[in-house]
This record gives sequence, C-alpha cells and structure tokens, in this order.
Amino acid sequence: MSVDTSTIPDFSDLTCTNLMIRLKMLLKKVPDGTPVECIVRRDQRDTIDVPFSRTGYEVKIRKVDTNRFRVTLKKKTQNLND
Amino acid sequence: MSSHFFLLEDTISPERLSWIEECLKFFFVKLNPENLLHSTKNRDTIFSLFLTGDSLYSLQNPETQQIWEIILSMPSVKLVCDSQELALRGISVERLRMKNPDQVIIHNSIALNGQPSFWKDVMKQARQHEQPVPSLVGYLHLTSPYMHRSSNAMLDCLHAVLECHASIDLYCYLDGVHVGHLGQKPSEFDNIGEGLTELSEKAAKRGLQCQMLACGRCAAARGYSTWDDGKGVVVSTCAIKPLRIRNLNETIDQFRRNHIILAGNCASIQLKKDGMRATFSVLDNERSPPLTILITSHPYGTESAFGGISLAIAAASQGILTRVIFIEDGVFSLTGNHRLDKPSPLFNMQEVIDAVSGSENLQIFCFTPSLQKRGLTKNAKLNGVLDIGIADFGNLLFYSPNGVAANHQRVLFF
Repeated sequence: MSVDTSTIPDFSDLTCTNLMIRLKMLLKKVPDGTPVECIVRRDQRDTIDVPFSRTGYEVKIRKVDTNRFRVTLKKKTQNLND
Repeated sequence: MSSHFFLLEDTISPERLSWIEECLKFFFVKLNPENLLHSTKNRDTIFSLFLTGDSLYSLQNPETQQIWEIILSMPSVKLVCDSQELALRGISVERLRMKNPDQVIIHNSIALNGQPSFWKDVMKQARQHEQPVPSLVGYLHLTSPYMHRSSNAMLDCLHAVLECHASIDLYCYLDGVHVGHLGQKPSEFDNIGEGLTELSEKAAKRGLQCQMLACGRCAAARGYSTWDDGKGVVVSTCAIKPLRIRNLNETIDQFRRNHIILAGNCASIQLKKDGMRATFSVLDNERSPPLTILITSHPYGTESAFGGISLAIAAASQGILTRVIFIEDGVFSLTGNHRLDKPSPLFNMQEVIDAVSGSENLQIFCFTPSLQKRGLTKNAKLNGVLDIGIADFGNLLFYSPNGVAANHQRVLFF
C-alpha cells in the first residue's frame, strides 16, 4: 500500500544545517507530544537521526522512495516513574 | 609561556577596541596579576595583536589611538603591524612606537623571497599551539575577491603556511566561495583563482596537503552549478580544480581536529589545564577546540549574522562546544520583535535563536554593554540567551570549559 506524503512538508532541498534549524523551529511551535513530520533525503536522514535521538526526541524514519524518507519527530514525554 | 593572539583585518571601531582592552585588563588584573609587577624581568609576550588591512587605520584614528595607548601600557602585549599594508596606506605609527618601542613591531620577518612577510610572523605565533609536526593550518574565508582585499591576505597567509612546512585547509564560506570561481580575469588585481591553483601545485611539490572546501549551501545560492553523482560526490562545473564544493558538515569535520584556524578577523586563546600546558597532536580529534563565534553584524543586511549562527549550529551538532556571543551591531538580532509578514525562505533570526538555544553543545550570549551603548533592551522572549558583561566574557574566553581538553579556543568574527 502506498502512503500519501503530499501533505507532509518536503525539506529535501534544504541543507543539513538549515533542515535542523527548520525542525527545531517547528518543534518549538507545536504543543508537547505533537509530532512533526517531513520528507528528507538519505543524507539528511542521517543528520537528523543521531542529534535528535540523543537530545530527547523520538525519531521514526520510514523510506518512501529511493532517496526520500519520511521523518517523524516527537518530544519524549517524561516518565514520572523514571 | 602562555600566548594568545588576535588577528584583525577589518576596520576597528572604538567599541571593538574598547572591549578588547577590557578583556586584556580582565586577563591581567583578575587572572594574571603577577604580570603587572614592574619588577618582573624577561617578560614574554602573552598577547599578540596582529593588524593588517584596514584595521591599521585604528593606529591613526585619535579615538582608537588613545585606546591603543592603554592597551600598550599593559605589559606582555605586542602589536605586530603588516609593514607592507602600512606603507600602502601611508600610515605612520611613530608616535605609538616612540612610547612603546619594544611592543610595536613594524618590521616583519623576512620570507624566503627576501621580502618582509607579516604572515611569517603570524605563522610563528600560530604554530606555537601545535606539537608535533607535521602540522596543519586552517583558514576560514568569508569574503569575495576584488571587492575585498582580504582574499589577497588569505593567499599571502596560505603561502606563509607552506613556507613553514605545514599543510593547508581552506574553508570557503558565504561570499568566500567566489575565490574558487573558474575563469577569473582581473586586470588590476592579483588573480585569486589562479593563485589558489598555484598554491595547490606548490603544496603538492612539497609533499604537503592542500584541501580547499567550499560550503555547498553558499555555493548553490551563488549559482555554482553542481550535481551529485549519486554516491554523494558533488561535482562542480564552474569552480577551479582544487576547490571541492561540499556540505558544510565536511568543513565542520575538519573543525573537530586540533589545528589552528585563522580568518580575516579571529583570535586564538590558549587554554591551560591545571597549570599544565596542554599539547595534543593535530590528529587528535577527540579534543576539538571549543569555538566562540562573535556575531558583530546587523541581522538582515548581509548574510554574516545568519552565517555565523548557522556555522555554530553545525559545529555544535557535531560535538564541538560552541558559544555564540552577540556583540556590537550583532545585538540587533536580539532587540525588538522581528516579524516576517509574508511567507519567505528568509529565516527570522529571533525564531532561529529561540529554537536553537538550549541545544546540546551550544550556548548563546548577549554582550550587554553593546545593548547599553545603543540604548536597547533584549527581547524578553529570548530567555535562552544569557546576558553577559565584560567579566563573564573574560571568563568565557580565558577559562577552559568543563570537559574540554583542547589546548586552545578558536574565536571567529562574523
């Protein structure tokens, strides 16, 4: 089954640094727990994965085409039992 | 001996020279009062200030001249002038020299071609940080050739690097990518593109490395046609052969190494650990020098301020401890309430700063004397930006941050 990604912002033209800035700006604007999604290239995927996972975000990456990946980022919620 | 240096090329405003003076006072009075004792003999130079280009006019301007007199009244400070650039501008520094003959240097070392070379003097200082050889010297270049003579300075500097048997890393960023454009034919200036090609050949003949990287984002924006061969190799059709257009992350990978990185306006502050001089190999990339980026320009008129914060974000995300200090006209990024009324690819600087403040390895500061001088206050929403005065600035410059084992701190002006 194909996934409709037409409503997801396509950031594949952005450089890695600008992509990071855009994502941080979007994450700042959405309420806690709301995911931010975008489409990126392979090299951008690698740039997002480690820095965001390391800094408290849940990162999900799904391949949608040869060099297109759908990234979902969500702030990890604090578990009170931790 | 501990040694620090500033290398300055642009016009020096009284404001800039004043905060440099305050930093030096902080260093000597708070951190090294023993150097102020008149009885101290055989004083080594602790601070060197290298001036070339238009920065030399500050030695003639009465407003800055009096600040220079205060700076030179501090012991262990040396001012090294580019003698050829002084002569070109017809600037005399005799008054300062008569008062401080041992501290104001106007005769540069002699290069292999028999000519005086300011850059040879810079190299002598810059390479004190490194052990062992072989070594590497980096240069971050931000301006276009012909409009700015700084490209000539960059070439002269890199020739001096080769003369002292060090390899070269050139990082072209913002308008600096234009130095690598193919087919330059200036009639009144040295050909910078050809100069870089010759430099690369000269390095190869001497068995030294010469890497020239241009930021892909900056190059694409300026029309450098490139294509990806599918394996991540970007091929440029309008750049000179030695120049490689690459993602900024490749430049930042080089910043993770421990070599000295010069720029038109920069500083290098030696860091000490528990009284021991730290010396590490250039290849020891676990000890990346911390990076302090001074944003001194207005936010939107040029790409400088955004370029500075962009570089900082890239460096921090690759594990380099990075500080951004908004200072001088740079504080305009933090004042008022910036608004983009229509959809635009332009970044709202305040949104960028707000979004990235608190990121891992990244600290953002506002130098409050610059706000006070302009009668401004910081936008209260930017609560991730910490206010600092001269003492905090001094601490940031001269104290080694926790967890950093590097032997020096890089300071770059944007």
